[in-house]
Amino acid sequence: MNQLEVRQYVEKYFAAFSAHVIEAHPDYLTVKLPPEVDKDIGNRPFYWSWVEKMNITPQPMILTFLFHPDRPPEGIRHEPLQFGSARLLQIFQSAAKHGRFVCLYEQGQAQPGLTRRSTALTPWLGVNLKLSFICDKKRDILLYLGVNLHQPRIVHHFYPFLRTRLLSPAIPDYYYTLERNIDLQQAAAMIRQEVEHVIAQEDAQWAAEARKRLQEELDILEAYYAELALREAEVDDEPPKEQEVVEHKPSPTADSLSPQVSPQIVRNTHAEEAVPEAVDLEQFRTNGGRILDFLRQNGIPESVPTDQPQPEWKKSTPEEEKERRIAELRWQYEPRIEVNLINAGLFYLQSSPTVVADNLRGNM
Amino acid sequence: MANIPLNIDVSWIEPLQQLLEQDGPWNKWELFQLALAAEEALAVRDFDQLQCLKYLHQIEPLPHQRETAERVLNEMRGRAILADEVGLGKTIEAGLIMKEYMVRGLAKKILILVPASLVIQWTKELNQKFGIAAVAQKKEYMWRQYDVVVASIDTAKRDPHRRHVLDIDYDMLIIDEAHKLKNKRTRNYQFVKEIKKKYCLLLTATPIQNEMDELYNLINLLKPGHLGHSTTFSSNYVEGKRQAKNNERLKGEIEKVMIRNRRSDGGVHFTSRHVQSIPIQLSPEEMELYQGVSQFVRDHFRSGLGGVNSLALITLQREVCSSREAAFMTLYNMYQRTAEDSPARQEILRLVEMIKQIQTHSKAAKTVELLKQINDKVIIFTEYRATQNYLQKYLSEHGITSVPFRGGFKRSKKDWMTDLFQNRAQVLIATEAGGEGINLQFCNQVINYDMPWNPMRVEQRIGRVHRLGQQRDVHIYNLSTVGTIEQHILNLLYEKIDLFEMVIGELDEIVERLALSNSLEENLTQIIMESQSEKEMALKLDNMGEVIRSIRRKEEPKQILTQFSR
Repeated sequence: MNQLEVRQYVEKYFAAFSAHVIEAHPDYLTVKLPPEVDKDIGNRPFYWSWVEKMNITPQPMILTFLFHPDRPPEGIRHEPLQFGSARLLQIFQSAAKHGRFVCLYEQGQAQPGLTRRSTALTPWLGVNLKLSFICDKKRDILLYLGVNLHQPRIVHHFYPFLRTRLLSPAIPDYYYTLERNIDLQQAAAMIRQEVEHVIAQEDAQWAAEARKRLQEELDILEAYYAELALREAEVDDEPPKEQEVVEHKPSPTADSLSPQVSPQIVRNTHAEEAVPEAVDLEQFRTNGGRILDFLRQNGIPESVPTDQPQPEWKKSTPEEEKERRIAELRWQYEPRIEVNLINAGLFYLQSSPTVVADNLRGNM
Repeated sequence: MANIPLNIDVSWIEPLQQLLEQDGPWNKWELFQLALAAEEALAVRDFDQLQCLKYLHQIEPLPHQRETAERVLNEMRGRAILADEVGLGKTIEAGLIMKEYMVRGLAKKILILVPASLVIQWTKELNQKFGIAAVAQKKEYMWRQYDVVVASIDTAKRDPHRRHVLDIDYDMLIIDEAHKLKNKRTRNYQFVKEIKKKYCLLLTATPIQNEMDELYNLINLLKPGHLGHSTTFSSNYVEGKRQAKNNERLKGEIEKVMIRNRRSDGGVHFTSRHVQSIPIQLSPEEMELYQGVSQFVRDHFRSGLGGVNSLALITLQREVCSSREAAFMTLYNMYQRTAEDSPARQEILRLVEMIKQIQTHSKAAKTVELLKQINDKVIIFTEYRATQNYLQKYLSEHGITSVPFRGGFKRSKKDWMTDLFQNRAQVLIATEAGGEGINLQFCNQVINYDMPWNPMRVEQRIGRVHRLGQQRDVHIYNLSTVGTIEQHILNLLYEKIDLFEMVIGELDEIVERLALSNSLEENLTQIIMESQSEKEMALKLDNMGEVIRSIRRKEEPKQILTQFSR
């Protein structure tokens, strides 16, 4: 959405709530928020619960949205509104909340004055769906499906077709509605079938690749922990483990596994490795040494270690670690498809979308 | 492709059924259309292309930053070590990646672990530059209450926080200054290993500081087993502590998880620096004052002066190099504090008298000359308020407009001064490099009126103008009064160890490797104050320069790293 689109969107949004626009400047828009909008985007839930409990007349909030961040108005508190602004996201969410289900009737072109004969309107269920293909990456497809509830069949691009019709919330005079021959559950089943059909036709390369990556990672993990276990049995270098052994539970297994090596000795070797210099710069200096001498003696000193191994630390076992890592990998890679409803409605139509939908299919 | 788990939302059927039965209340057609328009705008149409850019208006990522974000997304699958050299914008890269996963709805719960001193800065940047509602962790409840939390690792690893952190499944974990996790035996390392995470970014400019093992440990944190078992790794790849073997293979493996952009890659263009020392001959009276003060300082530094601490003496020694005005205030305060019968009082009075006698001000005069010659915007840095005030007066007497700038100014005043400097004045006189986000890149001329004894401070000064966004070459003029300490310092730090020739950010690395950011200045002070003669001092400073130079030359671990860079 560019800035012009953002502005148009916001203007339509406020118009839908019949909000009072205080100033519509080319660069900004000042609006008095209607209560429903204020509750959705005003960020003051406590105020609203208080107002409602005490039965007070609410003070509407006034906001100024700036569409040209480089041309701010003088002396008016304002906030820039751009695609990506938190406030715009709130407006989107508010629109989603208040634009979920509709019921509309097509207004006829026929002139009822001339003929007394009533015309039939066919009931359609229109659903807009978001299909998300998810692995470590993600892609969305939007589907605009229409289900004829009178003579069961399903069409694509139903919403674009609806946009070309004149729709109103009340049934026009001299029209009657045809019977719904299937219920919503049955319609939902048809939708499911159609969604599965669409998915089957989509390229599934992404999922195959994700599974391949997952398998490769799992193989590496398998090999690594197998080797780890092997080395561990031989006398290993996982020192925190030994520290635990030494300082906590003098485990009989560790001793019995490696009776020829005392854990104490293993630890000392590692302590030496971990802290190569017996004395660090700070100590050296407090003992009266000069940095110059220190540098000469030590060549490149290591940065002072910020934290020391802490023996009381309870570390996971390699098995636990492996399980956790496998869970992480599946979480990251495993392909899945999620289908969510954006919004839906009952549409009573005079004209049939079939032809239009087929025409549109090529364009979309 | 069969068997991809499919989850179709059907929760809408029942509410819609109810509405049908009661015939309403229905929503408006206009809002129905707007709801759909929003979803259309937010939908991710493509697996691979960066989506986050259209959400970001406060920053314009550089090509290498974008490319890095794309590689992490498409090749590394969200687990990577970002190891750019200092100054290339690792934070921006991490922010881009984070935003991308958020926009795609793949990351919601995010933890950012950074050193305590950077928590606020990270929080601010994520909010301001990326529109990510990050909060700095302060209270225990915040771990669960907020989606994006910035915290210090030392807090997070301690109970009760640890319990929360280890209990939460994080969509993304980011760790800044990750080289602090090079030792797998530390508690921090174990802690990070145990955090449950889907995507993970480790940020460090120095993935190898000393040993190959450090890199192995970092990678094992990111992807356990990627380089095999540590023993296998050693036998396959490690020749000596700092020497790798089977380079090509190792390089290939490391490239799968690490990205290191380098200044020398040329992706980022820094303009050149031209450094010039401007020698200044003091007038005989000025020289006499300088020597008088120096003698006074040296005499009393060891013996001690009643009521005056050695810090004041050090300050005095520095100030006298800057301007006599700076020295005057300190001398005055010293006079107030010494006992009335102290012989030192007479000496101080004598020095003050000397100051009063001096008519010339060679340094200021030279500065005016230089300013006229440059004939462009110039920033003058000095360490002292007194010098700053004097200079402003002196310049205005010579028809040069200037504005002051201090670290203590409020943000709005800083902005105002910057604005004045940009549009009205020729010179900005600053006592401090200070001020994140103060934009001075329109200026490319810097005069160091006096020299800080800590090279990091000089680097910070220059860093205000010589950074990404500077279009022109940067000219630096160092004023140095001949025959004074200033000259020695300049000689040592800025010529011997080539401070000015270092690439941006290199100094940080050296200082960090030496672990001497504070002590360098201390040792300099020690040498200057304790030397019995000029000669002794010169010799000692010389030695120190040699040591630092030799450390700088030892670059083995870095050479290994160089091979891994693209």
